Amino acid sequence: MEIKFTAEEEAFRAQARAWLEANVPREARPEIADLPARRAFDMAWQRKMFDAGWAGINWPKEFGGRGASLMEQLIWYEEYAKVGAPDVNTGFVGLKHAGPTLIACGTSEQKAFHLPKILGGDVVWCQGFSEPNAGSDLAALQTRAVVDGDHLVVTGQKIWTSFGQIAEYQELLVRTDPEAPKHKGITWVICPMDAKGIDIRPIKTLAGNADFCEVFYDNVRIPLANVVGKLNDGWRVAMATLSFERGTAFMSEQVRQSARMAELIEVARTVPGPNGKARAIDDDEIARRLALARAEVEAMRAMTYRSLSLAARTGMPGAEASMIRLFFSELIQRIDRLAMDIIGAAGVTGFNPNGSSRNEWGEDYLTGLSQTIGGGTKEIQRNIIGERVLGLPR
Amino acid sequence: MDLMLSSEQETIRDSIRDMLRDRMPSERVRAVMATDTGIDRAFWREAGQLGWFGLALPDAVGGAGYGLPEAMILFTELGRALAPGPWLGSTLAANALAKDETLKGTLDGVLTGGQLVVLVDDPADAFGTGTRLDGTVSGVADLGVADHVLVVGSKDVRFAAARARGFTATVELSMDPTRHVGTLTARGVEAEMIGAHAAALRRMATVLTAAEAVGVAERTLEMSVEYGKVRQQFGKPIGTFQAIKHRCADMAVRAEVARAVVVYASVAVEEGEADADFHVHSAKALATDAAIQNATDNVQNHGGMGYTWESDAHLYLKRARVLEHTCGSRIAHLDALAAPWRAAG
Repeated sequence: MEIKFTAEEEAFRAQARAWLEANVPREARPEIADLPARRAFDMAWQRKMFDAGWAGINWPKEFGGRGASLMEQLIWYEEYAKVGAPDVNTGFVGLKHAGPTLIACGTSEQKAFHLPKILGGDVVWCQGFSEPNAGSDLAALQTRAVVDGDHLVVTGQKIWTSFGQIAEYQELLVRTDPEAPKHKGITWVICPMDAKGIDIRPIKTLAGNADFCEVFYDNVRIPLANVVGKLNDGWRVAMATLSFERGTAFMSEQVRQSARMAELIEVARTVPGPNGKARAIDDDEIARRLALARAEVEAMRAMTYRSLSLAARTGMPGAEASMIRLFFSELIQRIDRLAMDIIGAAGVTGFNPNGSSRNEWGEDYLTGLSQTIGGGTKEIQRNIIGERVLGLPR
Repeated sequence: MDLMLSSEQETIRDSIRDMLRDRMPSERVRAVMATDTGIDRAFWREAGQLGWFGLALPDAVGGAGYGLPEAMILFTELGRALAPGPWLGSTLAANALAKDETLKGTLDGVLTGGQLVVLVDDPADAFGTGTRLDGTVSGVADLGVADHVLVVGSKDVRFAAARARGFTATVELSMDPTRHVGTLTARGVEAEMIGAHAAALRRMATVLTAAEAVGVAERTLEMSVEYGKVRQQFGKPIGTFQAIKHRCADMAVRAEVARAVVVYASVAVEEGEADADFHVHSAKALATDAAIQNATDNVQNHGGMGYTWESDAHLYLKRARVLEHTCGSRIAHLDALAAPWRAAG
C-alpha cells in the first residue's frame, strides 16, 4: 500500500494544474435565475477544455475524449476542484450520463452525430427518467410510446428534469410494451427537445430557484433511429452507464468540501460564539463538530482512494461506491447544518424568495437537502447497500 | 497510490485470520477469560513463533521486515477475534527495544512470546520523567499478566520488570472480561531508559488501537448480516425489513469509513507524510466511534438474544468501550484536531 503517486502521475498533475490555473474562468458563473447566461458560460468553458484536449477526461480517445487512466482521472478531478473550476452543472447529463450511454450502447451514427457536440460544448442534454408515479420505483414508469411507421409516438409526463428549459436533447425512458414485466418493456430514446407536442414547465424548488422542470409529451413523434439499444431493452441501456463512472468524480466533491471546511473554520474563528463566547470556535461543541467534519471529509478522500485502488485492479467499479455516496450526501448535510449553527441568526437572513440568495451558507443548507433525494434517495441507497453489498434478502 | 492490500498483505491477513479461527475461536476466548490469569501463554508463544510481535521490525533484529500497515492488519484481526492479551504492549515493546542494542536479550524474549509486556500510556508524565518512576497511572490494560511494563511518557520511553520493587498493581474486574484494566502505582521504581521516540511509539499505538476497533466494527457488521439472513419473524428473514437492512447499511458505511481512515493513517505514518498526525487522531476518533456504534447496533439487531451473556454481541461492545479509553478518547483526539484552529490570532 502507498499514498504517493508515481513520477509520471505527478508529471500529469503538474501539467493539468498548469493548464487549469492559466485557463479557469475568472468571472463568476451567472446565477441560476439567468439560465441562458449560465448555459453560455458552461458551454464556453467546455469548449475551452475541448480545444485544449482536456474534455471528456474519462471518455475513450476514439470518441474524442482524453482516455485518461483512472489515476489520471482522479488527479484531474482533484486539481480541477483545487483551482475552483466550475462544476459540470448544465453539462452533467450529456457528459456524465447520455454521452457514456451512447458510447456503451449507441449506433455508430448516433455516436458520430452526438458525441462531438457533447464534448465540444455545443449542446445541453437533460434527463427524462422520473415520473410523478415513478420515483424510487423508476421501472414503474408509464410514459407510453407506440411505434407508428418509422417513428415512436410518445405521450405522458416526466418530472425533476434539470435544465429542461435550455436543453437540446433528452435521454428519455418510455414504456413500449405495457404487457411485459415492468423492467422488460422500457425503451431508451433520444428526444429532441424542440419536437412538436413537448410542453416544458419549470418547477420552483424550496430554495426559490427553478433549475428543474416537468415535461409533458402529447403525441410527440421521435424517429425510431433515435432508439438507443433495442426496443424494450431500455432498462439495460439505462444501467450501462453505471459501470462507466468509477467514482473518480467523487474526488472533486471531496476537494470542494475540504475547501468549504477550511472556510467554515475561518468563519468560526471570526464570528461571535454562542453563550457569550468571543468566537464560535471557543465553544467546545462547535470545535469538536468542526474537527469531526474535517476528519470525515478526509475519510472521504481515503475511501475514494481505496475505491479507485480496487477499480484500477479489477477494471470494475466496486460496491463501495454506493457507501461513499451515502456517507458523502449525509456528511454534506452535517456540514451545512454545522455552518448554520456557527453563523447563528445570520443564517436565516439575506434570502431572496426568487432564488440567488446573498446568504451562501443558508442557500447551501437549503439546496443541500437535495443531496439525499436526487439520483436515488438515501433510503434507496441503503437498500442497494443492504441487498447488493451485504447480500441481505429483498 | 494504492490503498488496497497487496496480495502479500492479503496472505498475511488470511494466515492470521485462519490461525485465530483455529486457536482462538469464541469458545476458546470465553474459556481463557474465565481463567485466573485471562491469558493463554501457549498461544502467546505460538504467536511469537509466527512473528506477530515483530511484523513491523527489520529482519536484522529478528522481525518480519514489514511495517506499520502489516501490524495494522494483525490488530484488525485481533479485534475481530476478541483475542485476549497485551498485544499492544508487546508489539510496542518489541519496536522500542529494537532501538537499543543492549536490550537484545529482552527483545528476543518479547518476540518469541516468552515475555509479556503491558503498555503504560503516560502522555501527561504522571510517572514523572527520567529513569525513576513515581506516581499513579490508571487505565492500564492487562496489567495482571505483565512480565514487563513499557512506559511511554511525553518524551521518555522506559522499561521495567512488572515485579520490580516499588510497583503496586491493582487489577480491577472490568466491563470487558477479556481485557481487565487496572491501576499501576510506582514508588521510586528504577526503570531502564530506552532510546526510542515516544511520539513515534504513541502514533503507532494509536493506529493499532484504531485498527483493533476496525476489527470490532467489521465483525459486528458481519454478525448482524448473518443473523438478518437466518432469523425469521413474520414468516421471513428479518434482514428483509428495512428497519434492519438500513441499520446494517449504516453499519457497513461506518465500518468502511473506519477501515479507510485506519489504512490511510497506517500508510501516512509509514511513509512519513507531513500530515500523518492529523490522520492518526482522525483514525482513532472515527474507528472507535464506529466500533461502539456498530457493536451497539449489533446488540439491537439480535433482539433478546443480543442482551444475553451467551451471545458474543456484548463482548464486542465491551471491547469497544475499552478501546475508546486506550491511547486517548474520541473527545481527546477531536480536541487535538481542533487545537490549532482555537489558538489565538
